[in-house]
Amino acid sequence: MNEAGVIRAEGLTRSFENLCAVHPLWVTIGSGGVTGLLGPNGSGKSTFLRMLTGLVRPHGGQALVDGVALKGDGTDIRKRVTYMPGEVRPYGELSGLEHLRWLVRGRTDEAWPRAHEIASQLGLPLERRVRGYSHGMKRQLFFAAAMGPRVRVRIFDEPTEGLDPTRRREVLELLLAEARDQGTTILLSSHHLGEVDRACDRTLFLRRGKLLDETATGNIHRRAQRALRVQFPPETPNEHLEQAASAVRDLEGIEVAEGSNHGRLTLFVEEGSDPKQVLASLFTSPNLPEPTSFVYGELSLHELYRELYGSEGV
Amino acid sequence: MGRWRYLVLYSLGEFIILELMLVAAILYWPNFEANVDNLRALAAPIPALSDLLDTIEDTGILGYIAGQHFFKGCNTLGTAAAVLFAVGAVAGEVHRGTLEMLLSRPYSRLRILTERYVAGLVALSIPIFVTSLTIPALAERIGEIELLRPYLLGSLHQAIFLGAIYSLTFFLSCIGSNPTRIAIFVLFVTTLQFAIYMVKVVTHFSLYRLADIEVFVRIADRNALDPRIYVPLLGASVVLYGASVLAFQRRLP
Repeated sequence: MNEAGVIRAEGLTRSFENLCAVHPLWVTIGSGGVTGLLGPNGSGKSTFLRMLTGLVRPHGGQALVDGVALKGDGTDIRKRVTYMPGEVRPYGELSGLEHLRWLVRGRTDEAWPRAHEIASQLGLPLERRVRGYSHGMKRQLFFAAAMGPRVRVRIFDEPTEGLDPTRRREVLELLLAEARDQGTTILLSSHHLGEVDRACDRTLFLRRGKLLDETATGNIHRRAQRALRVQFPPETPNEHLEQAASAVRDLEGIEVAEGSNHGRLTLFVEEGSDPKQVLASLFTSPNLPEPTSFVYGELSLHELYRELYGSEGV
Repeated sequence: MGRWRYLVLYSLGEFIILELMLVAAILYWPNFEANVDNLRALAAPIPALSDLLDTIEDTGILGYIAGQHFFKGCNTLGTAAAVLFAVGAVAGEVHRGTLEMLLSRPYSRLRILTERYVAGLVALSIPIFVTSLTIPALAERIGEIELLRPYLLGSLHQAIFLGAIYSLTFFLSCIGSNPTRIAIFVLFVTTLQFAIYMVKVVTHFSLYRLADIEVFVRIADRNALDPRIYVPLLGASVVLYGASVLAFQRRLP
């Protein structure tokens, strides 16, 4: 099987002391396309990306990136991919030009002119010392460096965080053009659903180190359109909601979202399944009061995100 | 790149200060020689200092230069330089938040660490050798003829001694995150070691016994390094470097 441009994680896991940051994760990404890794802070996104690039050693499982197995400190992988870290702290005493040159050192010759071109395109004042750069400018400098080398896989940890809307759009457009024109596999993490929705073909939802869901981005829209949200009085005990949720879980084609609380129950009704069945089950549930409202098929992406992650995702 | 610049500047600074101290010391030699009895009277309350004066009187300008340049200049300034050059290698990057950026480049951790270790060691040692190269010319200005070889051997011994302190600090930098705290700790320990050298009853517990006037005079007499000293020092440096590599391989960005 041709593994060029493919990212494959096979049971990749990592703990920090007693906290499991990433539970065994199995996923295949690419070749080609933009994949978004979505999740709130602390969901394991950065740890996962760092494991793929060898910056954090996994405690279990293995990874294969662009046909190269993760071994030792991952140097072989880092030679074949570019990675933009989430925490961007440059050497402030260098000028933008010097720093960019330093960042692409060790890459092929074409990396420097391309990184320079992208930095210029983004309007970075390369002659100025980096310590005078804003947070967004520093991120753009790192972004330009990560876009410079010709590679088949690029990994970005929150590439647009801290950028103004115009720059954010430019960065996403560059990523999309790269994936479209060069066939590069792009994996980016974010906690902005809108951004992932705009840029990604596929989305992986992470929560507390577990892969919560994995879907094509188009499916997110379809899923939002098949969401049924039932609101009970807010004082309704959670255990009663949980009992009702257990009952509807048994119905075919029904999935109960995480984060159902404060009297709110969100369900996803698969195509071909009848939401009336669910409502009937809920209305006849012995411990539940009558619902105060219910909405079907009108959930926004933002609401869907909240339903997946609960309050921590908001 | 910032680190290389900083190493070059600090190495240049170390060279300038060592050379100024050396020039002043050598030009002062005729006065020192003429007043050695008065100086002995002044040093009488500190037996260790009196012993140093005795050694200098026995060995002449060679012992004097070894005392001024190696024992005093290189041991004090060199120790401070060793700590400064090593402490930022990894802990400095962690403190500045730049470690992840450094590690995400397409180089192995072994290569990154080895480059840093060697560069710091070279920056530390070059001023010692270069200043020693100027000794015969400076001595000639006061009518003394000095051979270069004993001072080059002395420089090599000094570099090995300071290399061990450098390696210890380098290792601490690989396991720690706060460069200031590490530097204060090592400087406190080395200052204490230097201080106890002057206390006769505990002077033999001082590490600076391994790089004092007697050692340098012995090296000059034998025209060779003393393996009883340099082999354990080199061994300690190798072990500390190995431990640094192991610690750095496991370091989280």
